[in-house]
Parts: sequence; structure tokens; C-alpha cells
Amino acid sequence: MIVVVDAINKDKFTHILDDMYKLRARVFQDRMGWDVKVTNGREMDEFDELDPAYVISLDDDMNVIGCARLLQTTGPHMLSDVFFDILDGEPPLRSALIWESTRFCVDRDRLGKGVAKNSVSYATAELMVGIMEYARESGISDIITVIDPVMDRVMKRSDNAPYDYVGKTADMGKVKALAALVDCTDERINKVRAFAGIEGEIFLPEKAVAEAHQDKDLAMMETELKTYIEEQLTAATTERERSDAIALKEAIGEMLRTRRMSDA
Amino acid sequence: MELIDLAATPEGRNDFVGFLENICSTMDLDYASYASANPVSGKVVAFTTYPDPWRDHYMQQNLHLSDPTLHTAARSIAPVDWGRLDESDAFNKVFNQASDFGLPSIGMTIPIRGPYGETGLFSVTSGASVRDWGLLKRKIIADLQLSAVYMHDRVMKSDRLLDILRHPALSAREKEILQWVAVGKSQQDVGDILSISPRTVEVHLRSTRHKLSVLTTPQAVGRAVSMGLIYPG
Repeated sequence: MIVVVDAINKDKFTHILDDMYKLRARVFQDRMGWDVKVTNGREMDEFDELDPAYVISLDDDMNVIGCARLLQTTGPHMLSDVFFDILDGEPPLRSALIWESTRFCVDRDRLGKGVAKNSVSYATAELMVGIMEYARESGISDIITVIDPVMDRVMKRSDNAPYDYVGKTADMGKVKALAALVDCTDERINKVRAFAGIEGEIFLPEKAVAEAHQDKDLAMMETELKTYIEEQLTAATTERERSDAIALKEAIGEMLRTRRMSDA
Repeated sequence: MELIDLAATPEGRNDFVGFLENICSTMDLDYASYASANPVSGKVVAFTTYPDPWRDHYMQQNLHLSDPTLHTAARSIAPVDWGRLDESDAFNKVFNQASDFGLPSIGMTIPIRGPYGETGLFSVTSGASVRDWGLLKRKIIADLQLSAVYMHDRVMKSDRLLDILRHPALSAREKEILQWVAVGKSQQDVGDILSISPRTVEVHLRSTRHKLSVLTTPQAVGRAVSMGLIYPG
């Protein structure tokens, strides 16, 4: 399923964004060997500071399994400001109806082979549909996407072949990159949906995602608290430490019970 | 931040407010507004078709300092339906007052980002029901995006310094396509001549129209010829 995170709602999705930056580091630095800046296990660049929109894929357990970054072509974006080589020094396309998509990736470690719902193939198609449908709802007609030749082949295989390319395939250090054009027409979206067997609404309601993540955080906190209490109990050497540890366990147990009741 | 209402000047009224009024009548909208900050001087420019009493109240109360249809919407890349903002206190503050003036709280803001990182905000409101608004929005959203960015470019170009900065940079392909159009070739013909799809021709023309701040391809040809970017057909 897909959730769109932008500067307006990102405070509700800090964990999802953090997981996304980590996924990008694993994909673009570790797997693809791109010359990207990774700090603390997270890949981020100056375009992440420009309030882009992120189209993010989540699995049933709300893990981040894919992402892409969208920017308007009327403003600063990668093709206008970084990927000069692709455009051969030419100025970029600029239009209110064209968005740029960059940093498209899915999590190959978490996803399986084949075509089932938790496969690389399905997640890739769903993410492409998510980008195109979000753009279409915003009145956008076309997307220019910076990809490598592997992604280009993936798009062709997913019945989502770019209708054209802008500029040339450029050497970006160890890798090659090119700029492809896709439209956001119903026709193309339906083709990709049919290819992967995607049916119905793919966008998760914002509220459901935020709440699911809150529950996940709480569950994690509870586990950590329990471990801590057990450690205190084991480490207790005097009677006084032992009784304090038991008191702590009871107090925290009471706190968690009260909260569960108020949640219910 | 200083709010300047250029609509009060005769020139502003003639150009930009008329443009907004036109959009309202052709797209079945109640009111339209545009605001941007000059990236060099920082001055805020705004135009609106809102009735004078609300405009005066808005300025006197400095509502632009907290209005989320300006501040929050500016951080989206997609048009922001005001339904996304209406949980905030700032929204309630502005729109409770707007409703006292009989103004609708259904609407959307289109954020525009320019090449120098400057933003423009183009807002429209509708008195329609939520359901009808959803339908209307779908119908007009692409045209509104184009109108918004067109108006933004025109406003930016009305500043002499920014006009120089925004000298249109057409790519070789954009010039090539426009040159073929100028001599009377159709989009299909141009695609055949250059061995590219008609859709590629169209996205390049769309980009060209944007860069030249015009709405139609004939206007783009005219402007490009006058600037010496292409030869007359």
C-alpha cells in the first residue's frame, strides 16, 4: 500500500521517513554504488531539504518497502541543478504539469521473488502506479524520471515503457543515468495495474498509517521497558534494590494497564 | 513581511485582478487570490477578487501572518485542498472570521515554485457542496495549475530585476520544435520529422510556453521570434 508524505504531514510520519532514508542508503550506496552522501546510515541530499513529496510503499506490517521523491520542474530539481551531464548542458524542461521523480527504489531484502503481493515485481509496479495516480490527481500530465539502465528495463518489463528520453545516457561515476518521460494517463496506469494485478485503492488513509505506527512505537516501548525491569530484578544485589525493582515493575505494569483501558 | 495590495493600483486592477476574475467566471469559482514574495526584496505582492471589506479586515488583522493557506500550502508540491488544513487552530482563526464575512471555507491553494526557489500561492474558493467541489476540482485542476504558474511568471516578470534574471533558456530541442511549428508544421508532422512521439513534441511545447510565460503556442512563436530565439515562419 502507498502513503504520500510531504512537508504538511511529515510530523506524523517521522519513523516512516527515517526508514525511507535508511532504505535509500542501502539501495543507492550499498547495492548500486552511487556516489551519494550517507550520514548515520541515512541517505539524504539537498533536495530533501526542498520539501519534496515522497511516495512510499508499505507492507502489511507498515514496514517501508519502497519510495520515490517528487519535485516540481518549475522550481529547483535534480535535472536543473545536478544532472547537467544527462542534459548535455541544455536547460531542463520546465512546466507546471511535469513533475520530476528521483530516488525510486524498492527493498529487495524484504521482498520476495515471483509476482505475489510481497514480491519485488508487485511492489515496483504499485510504487509506479502510486506516483502516477498521485500526480494525476494533482493535475500533472507527465513525469520526467531520472533512472539507471536497470530501472529502464524494469519499467519496460512492467508494461510501463517510457514514451521517450530527454538528453542522453550519462556516466555518473560507476553508473549510468538517463532521464525518461512517462505520462500519467489512465491508459498507462491501467496497463501497469493489469500487469501486476493491482486492484482497487492503493492509497492508505493517512490516519490509519499514523495510528498503526503509534501502536508499533508503543509496543516497542513496552518491550524495552519489560527488558529493563527484568534486568533491574536480575541485577539487584541487596534486599532494598530488589524491593525497589519490584515496586517499579508494579508501577509500570499499572501504567500500561491504565493506558490500554483508556485506549479501548 | 509587508503586504502590498497591488489590486488598489490601476495597473494591477487592469492586469492581474482581471485575470483572476476571468478564471472565476470561466471555472465556476467564487473567489481567487494570488500572493508571492519577491525573492530579492522580500516584499509580498498579492491580488484578490475577495470583496473589499474582507480584504481590508484581512490586512488590518495581519491574517496573512498566520494564514495556513499561505504558510502551510507553500510546503507542498501538489495543490493543497483546504480540507487538509482545517484541523489546525490557525485555519479556524482565519476561516471563522471569513465565514462572518459570508465567505466559503472550501477551496484549494496551488503552490508554485520558481527557478530561484521563490514560491507563489494561487488560491481559489468555491461555495459548492463538498461533493460538487470534488467533481469541479478534478475538472479544473490542470488548467488551474497552468493559470497559477502563468500568473506567477507574469508577476515575477513585472519586476525589472527579476525580468532580467528570468530570461528564457530554451533547449536546442525546444527551439527546434518551435521553429518547425513556426513554419506551419503540426505536432504530428514535427514528431515525424524529428523521429519523436507527438507527446514528446507536446511536453517540449508546454515547457516552451512556460518558459516564455505565454498560454498558447502561437503566442510562444510570436514571443520567440521577437526575442530572436527562432526565425519567423
